[in-house]
Amino acid sequence: MTNLSLADLAGYMRQLGEGALITLELFLTSFALAFIFGVLIGIATLSRSRVVQGIWRVYASIFMGVPSLLVIFLTFYGGSAMLGAVLGEFGARIDISPFGAGVIAFTVVYAAYIAELVRGAIENLPKGQFEGARALAIPPAIMWGKVILPQVMRLALPGLVNVWSFMLKETPLVSLAGLQDLVAAAKIAAGATKEPFIFFVATALVFIAFSALSFRLASRLETRLDRGQRREAAGRSSSRAAA
Amino acid sequence: MTMHAPAPDAAKEPGRLAITISGLVKHYGSHRALNGIDLEVRRGERIVICGPSGSGKSTLIRCINALERHDGGSIVVNGIELTADEGTVQDIRQEVGMVFQHFNLFPHLTAIENCMLAPQLNRGLTKARAEKLAMHYLERVHLADHARKYPSRLSGGQQQRVAIARALCMEPRILLFDEPTSALDPEMVNEVLGVMEELAASGVTMLCVTHEMGFARRVADRCVFMDHGEIVESRDAASFFQAPESQRLRDFLAQILR
Ligand SMILES: Nc1ncnc2c1ncn2[C@@H]1O[C@H](COP(=O)(O)OP(=O)(O)O)[C@@H](O)[C@H]1O
Ligand SMILES: [Mg+2]
Repeated sequence: MTNLSLADLAGYMRQLGEGALITLELFLTSFALAFIFGVLIGIATLSRSRVVQGIWRVYASIFMGVPSLLVIFLTFYGGSAMLGAVLGEFGARIDISPFGAGVIAFTVVYAAYIAELVRGAIENLPKGQFEGARALAIPPAIMWGKVILPQVMRLALPGLVNVWSFMLKETPLVSLAGLQDLVAAAKIAAGATKEPFIFFVATALVFIAFSALSFRLASRLETRLDRGQRREAAGRSSSRAAA
Repeated sequence: MTMHAPAPDAAKEPGRLAITISGLVKHYGSHRALNGIDLEVRRGERIVICGPSGSGKSTLIRCINALERHDGGSIVVNGIELTADEGTVQDIRQEVGMVFQHFNLFPHLTAIENCMLAPQLNRGLTKARAEKLAMHYLERVHLADHARKYPSRLSGGQQQRVAIARALCMEPRILLFDEPTSALDPEMVNEVLGVMEELAASGVTMLCVTHEMGFARRVADRCVFMDHGEIVESRDAASFFQAPESQRLRDFLAQILR
């Protein structure tokens, strides 16, 4: 410690903590919205309508092709103008915050990836699952909720875990639009104290801790969704007996 | 096929017929899978449908519960004419249970959960009552001991019996079977046929696509032979086997009873 007092260190670390909360909030909000829209869009893309297929192809190729940073900038700098075009005078006066721009951009981009995963998983389900439900007069909404999606989630889980990790790693991009997130706080602290190592490593540790926690939750979820599957059935039932 | 006139008998006794099919036509693209099917099924009647692969047997019974939409002719189930209307389709599906070749059990639900799902949703049963009902029908297919198992832990014959119990839980008046034993290992065929024979004795109306001719002889009131999307012969089981009229049926029986 050259010229960094303990009090200063604690102060900067608190700022890092606040930044981490903003990062987490941005990430969880964006992922939740991307998940909801991704599932709905994934189901919608099963429609054979040419219009739906056309819209889906354009949407997917734009947002899977354009860098997320550009989408964030477009939303942040161009968002008010776009709202103005759609909503007129009233829309032009709405300011989009960096946080809002980040949530919108990540939702739009990652809903496309999640839709692609969900669509693939649905197509891989045996057609008999739908027919079994229809023959039992199970209404469509409940068929999706109780019969199809639980199985789709099992098939899509590995892909969803990838999207989760990848999106988490992209969150710092929003600091380039001015969001005071974890990485922005680390950068300020590092610049002010000339101690980049401490703050950037601390930041990395936060990301590592969060993703380690995520993987543990994901493997629990996997066990839950895998119930009824033959794979590892013997191993699981013995561990359940031990618990 | 425009006018739908009920058969004269049905007009006199409207409750006598479970299913009335007239002039039924179904296309897949330009392929005509059903080419004008006429079939009347009386209440409690047990009908076995057989015929070569691709003759339209599955298509016929799948039209009855609207898993496939027909594009000509009419289907009347328990007095309800099947139309494109979703409410009508749901009404008919409540009356008609279906058992598939590949069981189509829901793998993420246990045997009893598979059975409870539809009664809870469609008949508004509480969980406890649905469970009681499910257990009753699982007992009837001799699987009470396996109620809490997932389908993957059951043999093929047991899975098919769960599927039968699941269909019975809707307490349908009509049961459709589409080659229920064709996907089973030979040693499991009899346990499923046994359950189906017990059902046949209970008075439920049954339409069963199968090539199990022993079952047909023991159970069927009437056997229907299909070929190229048409009903070629339809008669009581005894004369169906002993005195087939058409050459096509004779050839088919010769092959299958070889
Ligand atoms: N979903 C489908 N799309 C196109 N053709 C089909 C479809 N289902 C059945 N067919 C065709 O319709 C005909 C009748 O099929 P099906 O009713 O399954 O016969 P069966 O059950 O007697 O073997 C066959 O020629 C089959 O190839
Ligand atoms: Mg068939």
